[in-house]
Formats: sequence, C-alpha cells, structure tokens
Amino acid sequence: MMRFIVQRASWGVLVVMSVVTLVFFLIFVAGDPAVTILGPQARAEQIADFKAKKGLDQPVPEQFMSYLGLMPCIRKDSPKYLRADGTRGFCGILQGDLGESYSHHESVANVIGYRLPRTLLLASLAVLFELVIGLTAGIIAALRRNRWSDTAIMFATFIGISLPTYVTGPIALLLFAFLLGWFPFGGYGVDPLDHIYHALLPALILAIAGAATYARVMRGELIETLRHDHVRTAKAKGMPMSQVVLKHAIRNALLPIVTLIGLSLPFLVGGAIITEKIFAWPGLGLLTIESIESLDAPVIMAVVLMFGVAVQVGNLLADIAVAALDPRIRLSD
Amino acid sequence: MDSRAFRRFRRNKGALVGLFLVIAVTALGLLGPWLAPYDPVEQFTDSLLLANGLPAGPGVEPGHWLGGDILARDELSRLLSGARVSMLVAYLATALAVLIGVGLGLLSGYVGGRTDTYLMRLVDVVLSMPFLLIAIVMQRVFDAPGIWTICIVLGVLSWTTLARVTRAKTMEARELDYIQAARALGLRHFRILARHVLPNVIGPIIAIATIMVARMIIAESALSFLNLGVRPPTASWGSMLNESQSLLLGLPRLTVYPAVLISMAVFGFNLFGEGLRDAFDPKD
Repeated sequence: MMRFIVQRASWGVLVVMSVVTLVFFLIFVAGDPAVTILGPQARAEQIADFKAKKGLDQPVPEQFMSYLGLMPCIRKDSPKYLRADGTRGFCGILQGDLGESYSHHESVANVIGYRLPRTLLLASLAVLFELVIGLTAGIIAALRRNRWSDTAIMFATFIGISLPTYVTGPIALLLFAFLLGWFPFGGYGVDPLDHIYHALLPALILAIAGAATYARVMRGELIETLRHDHVRTAKAKGMPMSQVVLKHAIRNALLPIVTLIGLSLPFLVGGAIITEKIFAWPGLGLLTIESIESLDAPVIMAVVLMFGVAVQVGNLLADIAVAALDPRIRLSD
Repeated sequence: MDSRAFRRFRRNKGALVGLFLVIAVTALGLLGPWLAPYDPVEQFTDSLLLANGLPAGPGVEPGHWLGGDILARDELSRLLSGARVSMLVAYLATALAVLIGVGLGLLSGYVGGRTDTYLMRLVDVVLSMPFLLIAIVMQRVFDAPGIWTICIVLGVLSWTTLARVTRAKTMEARELDYIQAARALGLRHFRILARHVLPNVIGPIIAIATIMVARMIIAESALSFLNLGVRPPTASWGSMLNESQSLLLGLPRLTVYPAVLISMAVFGFNLFGEGLRDAFDPKD
C-alpha cells in the first residue's frame, strides 16, 4: 500500500512538472505580457521597466529555472531578489513561492487564496446536489426497473448529460431569476448566507451533468448488486427491502461513484469557467479567463499547477478510497 | 457491423431516434449554407431594424422567417450557416482524435513493452492538462483563430480515451489464435494490424467516436461562447450564443434558437453513440 502511494505520487509529480513546463513555454509563444498588461499606448521605457522588474528581460530558460526555484531569483519585485548579505535567494514554486500577479498588484497566493473559497463553496454545493439528486434518482430507477418511473428518470438523465451549462445556465437565469424572481441574477452577495443564496442556482446548473451521470452509474451498479448472493440472503431472511438496499446493496454500488467523485476533483477545484462566467460568480474560473485575457502568466501557471495537482490527488484518493471500501481490492503496482 | 449487432441496434428505439437526429443535423451542416435564404453577415438595416432600435421578430418581415438578430442580420441564415461551422469542427476534430488515439492505441497494445509504458504516460500527461485552459492558451498562440486551429486544438487534446480503449482491446486481440498464427506466418505487422486487429477493435471505437462528436460540439460552442473560438461575424451556434448572452432578457429568442440546435445535436449523437455501444457490447 505505502509503496503504491509513493510510486503513484512520484509519477504524479513528474506528470505535473511536464504540464507546467509545457504551459510555461506555451505562454511565451502566446504573446508579450508586458504589452498586454500595459496596453498599446505604453512607452518603450515603461515596457522595458516592467520587463526588468519581472525578470522578463532574462533568457527564457533562466526565467523557467528561476520560476521552478532551481536558480536564484530574477524577479526584482521579490524581496528574495537581494538578501541583506548581497546574495540572491530563491523564489520559485519549489520554495512555495508562486510569484506576483502582473495585473492584480498582489502575490499570486493572495489572489488565489481570495478566490478559492468562493469556488469551493460553489463546488461543494454542486457535489451535494449531484449526490442527493443523482443517487436518489439512481436508486429509485434501479428498484423500479423497466417501469415508467425508471424510463422517465433514465430519459431525464440523458437530457441532463446532453445539455451544456451555457445552454441551461441562461435559460435558468431567464426562468428562475427573471420571470419568477426566486433567485438573484448572478453575482456573489454580501454576507455568508447571501453567498449561499447566490450560489444555489449556479450550483444546481453545475450539478446537472454530474447528477445525471451518478444516477446512471448508480442504477447500473445497483441492478448488478441486487443479483448478488448476499443480497438474496438478506431478502430471504425477511429483511425489509429498504434495509436490504441501504445496508447491503448500496455499499457495493458506491464504489464507482467514489471513483467518479475523485476524478471530478480537478474540475471542482479548478473552477467552472463557463458557469462562473454566466452567473458572474467571482471564483477561480473567472480568474482563469481574466488572467488568460491579460496574459497574467504567474496566475495562469498557478491555476495550471493547481489543476494538475488536483488531477493527481483526485486519482490517488479515488484508488485509496475504493481499496478502503472494498477489501477484495489490494493496491499494488 | 455484424448482423447480430445490427439487429440489436434496430430494436433500440432510442438509438434510432439518435440516428435520425444525427442525420438531420449532419444534413443541416452539409446543406445549411445553400438552404440559407440570405448572406449570414448581411445587415438588413432597412427592413429588419425597427424604429425602437430592436430587430424585427419572427414572421414580422416576409421572407425573414425567424426575424433578425441584434445587428439586423437574418437569424435563420445565421443558424443555417452556423450549422456548417459547428458540424465541420465537430467532425474534423473527432477525426483527428480518432486518428491519433487509434494509431497510438494500436501501437501501444500491439508492441507492448517500453513503447506501451511511455505512450500510456503520455496519456497521463495529456489528461492532466486543463482542457479549456490549454485550448484557450493555444488559441492565443495561433493569433488568428480559424476553424482549422480549433479543430487541431480540440483533436490533439481529446484522443486519450480512445487510445486507452483501443490499447486494451488490441491487447485482447493480440492473444487470439488466428492473430498469433498470422504473426507466426511472418505477415508484416502493418498488415496484421490493419487486416486482423483493427476489425476486432473497431466496434467500441465507432461508439466512442460518435459520443465524442457530441463532446466536440459542446467544446466548440463553449470556446466560441467564451469568445475564444469562432470569431464574429462568422456564425457558429456557440458564437451566436455568445452574441445573444447580453440580450438574454430583452431578446431571449436569440439565445433559445442556437441553444435548441446545440442540445438537439448533442442529444442525437449521445443517443446514437450509446445505441451503438449497446449493440456492439450487450450487457443486459
């Protein structure tokens, strides 16, 4: 088990590093951040000044090594650029330093730390909706297999999978916010309770596809599990059907759901770019769009890094959770 | 498709509905620009722009069945020519993903060993890249985002599932007696792969590719919706949604038309693909 985790984690670090490298150089091909940030009216010396301050005047390989933290700092806006004793410190991601945002005049860590809780609120509400709606629908469909309620639920899940958020989002806004007035018209709200109120509609929209997937998986697994011997024994003992399902059948059926949740982790942490845009929810998704539009390289890199780490952690957690839930599965290489 | 799979498919009503929708939207993509009554970028400021500055609604102006959009262009013509762009991107991007995914999957599963290990690690790396983010960055890299760059970006980022499935099926097929025999006879590897292995793995590939077309339609419109895909004035269903987003309350119909078409297309390809999957690989 330990060996498996260590192996997977080190492989994960390697994968994340290759993605980070790729995106770092992609951004350099994408354009000149100094020009994008300072605008077309900027004078040549302003641009030169900005580049010198951010270390963008240095050769690209050196910038990359400094960003990783394998070479002394080249960013003059970093306190580590010049130590008291005249040497230069390190200011790369290996030292836990994500750098300074180009457009926010703040450290990337602060910018992300400010946005992340909002995205997490939206994401956790969405997961809650996904699980409650998806699992309930899946269980009902499995128990009423091939009856009209099963058919109706399966049809609904199919529609749910087929509708992208940029279709459902505007329609939900039109219906529930504008015509019925039940929900606010996007935005973030002013106090914690208000935040939750503002998050309800986008979370619901975000949850549609996941809930539909979970319902389909749950139905399939449950139908399979209900055929197993231990379930038949429980039924033969005279156990009420609700008990049989809750105590014996669901546990097995939950395994693939746990895997799916693990795999969806990066998308929850990385922010729902489109949903956040439609509902003007100022989380990581909107930050991603903004930072790409302004070529705010340190923020883009941080988002990529977080996403990559989340993919690896999600995969690993899913494997561990499945092994914990099912004693038949032994983790090995 | 062998005759048993074909029969299973024909008995599946959902799959037939899917097939119908797929044919319908594909025909729309092929014929759309010719069916369009007007030039999709021509502005009819005289007839389609009302005195209050809003475009004319459906059926108000004879000949403009669905009225005009906010720039007084013929809405029906834009929807029809947008169908061409959306379907073209979806099919081409899927074709590219199939080419890469099936090629690498066959190679990985057939050759095995170190090649297999490295290729599967490449799959891991691609999977760890945030799809939308990379797509957006790549759009900036190629400073003139045309239809072709969108196809390439989407195709290059989405071949991983296909590669994994093809690899797994190829590894199964490799052990079959007649393929072992073909190898023992000294047939050329390429010939074995093309003539003997591929027919064994093609079923699930077709099913996954069909569902992938649905995902590509979604991805293209998502990019265009974020104003990072098809750029105005060219019409695609996604760019039309993007243009109508700010007018959601005033002119909801401009959002509803492309939204309905996108949903229909995605729904159709999903249903058709699932039907194919069930036909090739019956579980119940």
